[in-house]
Amino acid sequence: MNRTTGDVRILPYSRVVEQDELKLALELNHVVPRIGGVLMAGARGTAKSTLVRAFALMAHAELPVTLPINATDDRVLGGWELDALIRGEARPQPGLLQEADEKGLLYIDEVNLLDDHLVNIILDVVSTGVLSVQREGLATAQHLSFGLVGTMNPEEGGLRPQLLDRFGLMVTTAQLDVGARHRMIRTVLDFEEELGREHSDWLAAADRDDAANRSRLDTARRRVPQTQVPDGIVRLCAEAAERVDAVGQRGEIVATLAARALAALEGAEQVQPEHLLRVLPMALRHRRPETAHGGMFDWGPDDEARVKDLFDTV
Amino acid sequence: MSGTVPTDPESGSRTSAVGAVPEEPDDLATRLVRALVCAAVDPALGGVLLFDLEPRLIDPVARLFAGILTGAGQPADHPLVLGATSRDEDLWTRPRLRQGPDGMAFRIEPGPLIRADGRPGAPPLAVVPDLTRLSVAGMRAAVQLVGADLVVVEHTGLSHAARPRTRWLAACRSSDAGRLSPHLLDRFAVRLSAAGLRLPPDGRLLGALPPAWLTAATQGVPVATVTDDALERVRELLGRDTSAPGIRRELALARLARTLAALDGERTATARHCDAAARLIGLAVAEPAQPAETAVGPATALPSPPRRGPLQGDAHRDRGGRAGGDPQPRREPGERLLETEPAEGIGTSPGGAPETLAGPFPEDEADVLRDFAPLRSPWQHTAGPAAARGVVIGTRRARDLRDLAYVRTVREAAVHQRLRRTERFTISPVDLHSHVRASAPERLLVLVLDHTCRGGDWDWQDALTPFLQWAYTGRAATQVVEVGVAEPADELRAESFAARSVLDPRVLAALYRPAGRATPLAHGIEQAAQALRRAFRQQGNALAEAWLVVVTDGRGNVPLRVSHTGRVSGPVAAEGVEDAFKAAARISAMDRTRLHVTVVDAAREPYGDLPFALADRLGGSVVEGRAARGRGPNGEGGTVER
Repeated sequence: MNRTTGDVRILPYSRVVEQDELKLALELNHVVPRIGGVLMAGARGTAKSTLVRAFALMAHAELPVTLPINATDDRVLGGWELDALIRGEARPQPGLLQEADEKGLLYIDEVNLLDDHLVNIILDVVSTGVLSVQREGLATAQHLSFGLVGTMNPEEGGLRPQLLDRFGLMVTTAQLDVGARHRMIRTVLDFEEELGREHSDWLAAADRDDAANRSRLDTARRRVPQTQVPDGIVRLCAEAAERVDAVGQRGEIVATLAARALAALEGAEQVQPEHLLRVLPMALRHRRPETAHGGMFDWGPDDEARVKDLFDTV
Repeated sequence: MSGTVPTDPESGSRTSAVGAVPEEPDDLATRLVRALVCAAVDPALGGVLLFDLEPRLIDPVARLFAGILTGAGQPADHPLVLGATSRDEDLWTRPRLRQGPDGMAFRIEPGPLIRADGRPGAPPLAVVPDLTRLSVAGMRAAVQLVGADLVVVEHTGLSHAARPRTRWLAACRSSDAGRLSPHLLDRFAVRLSAAGLRLPPDGRLLGALPPAWLTAATQGVPVATVTDDALERVRELLGRDTSAPGIRRELALARLARTLAALDGERTATARHCDAAARLIGLAVAEPAQPAETAVGPATALPSPPRRGPLQGDAHRDRGGRAGGDPQPRREPGERLLETEPAEGIGTSPGGAPETLAGPFPEDEADVLRDFAPLRSPWQHTAGPAAARGVVIGTRRARDLRDLAYVRTVREAAVHQRLRRTERFTISPVDLHSHVRASAPERLLVLVLDHTCRGGDWDWQDALTPFLQWAYTGRAATQVVEVGVAEPADELRAESFAARSVLDPRVLAALYRPAGRATPLAHGIEQAAQALRRAFRQQGNALAEAWLVVVTDGRGNVPLRVSHTGRVSGPVAAEGVEDAFKAAARISAMDRTRLHVTVVDAAREPYGDLPFALADRLGGSVVEGRAARGRGPNGEGGTVER
């Protein structure tokens, strides 16, 4: 596995402590890519970026296609290889959006700090599914499809509602208790120590666990087409979305897809209400009117109370 | 004393004659050089932040750090200095011309911040003399690089992913720390107060280190094992508050302890090393009554930093853990408003004698407002003039040789090579293209809305319409500060948001929010001042005009210290009003050729004069808000002709 791409060192996915909801969201998105991506919001230093990179290394054995906040549009849209041009050769250089199409995922770290002109480009492509480039001697149009995975610290500002809506699921980092904090620090320090060893049982065990995780996800992916979604679940989903005044219909669709992915992960033959109940906050928290316009992302007891009776009566 | 600047013959360092050069390093200098070695050894500790360092010392400290990174006897590279004018193009990429066998070749190479990634040799050093003055591009670079596992750069044809090796040395005043993004500050693992630092010549300073340390700084050391007891000690030292966001502080202290142990040649880092690490960065260490350790290594033989009394110890740590992450203000009836002295005494005031900082996390104690979204590029408006420092949003045919877009230029030239029939790749003047940069907004409207003055009978939109129209037609960016909202996140604090324009749906929603009970007017005025200051500072001359419009009856009932601390106790009396006046006076001192201020009078009695007094402090005018027909029969309200 390409954990140390060059000298890059990323904690193995199976060794990331806690943050179960973040992990679940990434796994659901992997099992059913049509979910359309995951947005992770949380305070600084809560292993958001580490988790995304570790997941990509576990699932795809390579780092995710990453759009940094200060990328230039020639790298996002694609262009020509400069060295080749000077040699008199016209060799196209694919942009990050094309790479993301091949890999299925585009990761944006600090997505809320992304400059507006890049947000506009991404919104254009993800909403139309077409990347049309007519510039600098390029004239191309191609269909692209990829999931967006973003991490952000809400202290540094929010996201435009249009971009927010493009993330299929949204999760927030959990507050860690003393024990979890201790385990997390312990794990990071152990990892750094083990990297210095020639043969590390610790790293070998982590690789085995990552392989088991990958196998579990692959099995779930294969199982998805056989996982039934009863009409009652779809109706339940629509009613829940109505209860929380979800903006648009994307929330219901994503919630249904995520519930199906969860059922597949758990080996169920058909989606049960508890599957839906578990993924509902991820699919709807950023589509509530107050959140879409820059409010808080928390899914609190009030939100739970608004949908709970729907599930009590099932 | 003469005004000459002597040069130390041994190190070549120039030292001001203002303070006498000490012959031997004192405790602070020793701690500093040891901290720099730790930062050199472990890339995860590669961000060093010095508080209250005298500006004249930044250069010698930078050269000291560069010397440690390079190793004894090796010529050190010039550090990269980042400041208010640092741009993405200068930091991430570097256009290079090379003489090749077929003529001159041109290519884009990794810029100074990433040029050493994945390569052998000494890591480069980036120096930020004043973190608060760093450009947005510089701050964003720091967030991406300092202590990071991975940096990805996709810039101007360059695609780069590697573990960053650049070490960072930054300085800022501790009293300014609260203004900075915690997201940025959090990246700096090694912090210490450098107030009163006196540097002996480099040779003596480095000579005071064990020789093995200097070797380790360039060649590294085996990673020591950190015991569970050590981790427990880290938690004790930093406080047991689990509401603090993230684990970076704990991790940094544990890594520092681990590095100190390794530098001492020990294979295990214990609680003793954690204490030494805490002392190194100036963190308070409660000295338990325990027998003296035997066989104390040089790393752990550090004296405690000077203490400053009540800010240290448990009270300080408790407050420290709350910083930036505790959504629930802890207020209890009868609780003292402040358990300790407020933080205004921390840090150096301009021209004043340096004070000792209580700990390495002054942002936790700061009572200044942090800048609004400091890591975001200013919002862009096409109405303004093209700025030289804005984000690149395109290219155009060059009109002069400034700010050339190299990649576009080469691409343009490539198209014509066959036609030109030259033997070598040729760039002619018609190929030259320059960047088009996003311009900052020319105009800014800051609205301070005191919802508690509106009552049920006044639609203040009429009074605000001229200002909103001005903002709309001028494409002004808008900052809305709300005071006294019903069901706020914290009723003792004003709330604020920035919008691209008045068309943002949040602006209209803010005009009709139900009123609450508390009126933290002083906090609202302070937030407005913050927004204005940032706009003037960041956008420079591009900001042509700004309006501050305050709608209020002037009856603030929340003192500023209550808004800052979130704790209420004792009678408030007129403190809220007085604080609002004080905050207003700061706005009055701003650039009055471009800033216009007006107070919309809510015309409520008693204290109908307050809006006028506030306008006076703000250096602005008063406009009639509530119409005469809306006023009560008992003389409520009045005209503005006073």
